[in-house]
Amino acid sequence: MARILVADDASFMRQMIREIVESEGFEVCGEASDGVEAVDEFKRLQPDVVTMDIVMPRKSGIDAVRGIIALDPTACVVMCSALGQETLVTEAIQAGARDFIVKPFKPDAVIETLKKVLEKED
Amino acid sequence: MDMAKYRQVFIEESTEHLAEMSSALLRLEKNLADHDAIDLVFRMAHSIKGMAASLEYDSITQVSHGLEDRMQEIRKAGRVADPEELGLLFRGLDCLESMVTAVRTTGQLPPPDPALAAVLTNRLDQPSPQAASPDPAVASAPDAAKKKALSPILAGG
Repeated sequence: MARILVADDASFMRQMIREIVESEGFEVCGEASDGVEAVDEFKRLQPDVVTMDIVMPRKSGIDAVRGIIALDPTACVVMCSALGQETLVTEAIQAGARDFIVKPFKPDAVIETLKKVLEKED
Repeated sequence: MDMAKYRQVFIEESTEHLAEMSSALLRLEKNLADHDAIDLVFRMAHSIKGMAASLEYDSITQVSHGLEDRMQEIRKAGRVADPEELGLLFRGLDCLESMVTAVRTTGQLPPPDPALAAVLTNRLDQPSPQAASPDPAVASAPDAAKKKALSPILAGG
């Protein structure tokens, strides 16, 4: 079972992702509410995938991707973006993120994206 | 999904965000270039927009999106232009507060305020962030087409 770390400053979004991924049998091994915590929790939990919000306090999602990739170049991070953030998504992909999902979340699209990046991992 | 649960989380989290936003705008009243306050208002507007969009609260999404766009321009400029612009931000806050209050007290979504959303976005007569995107194919396309436009980057990554 894949272990997922959910990083988003909004409890609303963390709960929504948790419900979507757990309904598919994935395990949410941890949550982070800012970019600094995301990097710390990645280091501690070594999840299979991180879902990463872009706009977060203390450290942005993009800087958190850079921090995680610096720790583990093979880390698998999926960005959570909103409409209008295409430039930031491109920046995150260039920083090492594998893919992205768009808010508002469509459960099928979230699961499809996670399965796709996990298949590439295998 | 149990949307009633998410409605409740939205009300609680938005109310907290609006209180933080109010406090930040009061700080901006004293210093129009308070970067921490500018960042906070931007993040709060962005967060409320995301939650409202997830619940299909279109009127709240519209105003919070307008406020987020405005704050993005202010971040680029490094300061709120003048007291008039600050007044506009307070107007956006007041509108969001009344909309969230309406959802909490009546369970009903108030009507949209497109005029406020438009004035939040367009007051500086500058192109919107989407229109200013270096790649119009990415900026204006629907989800599937956007993903396609980013696919060479994804494939390369």
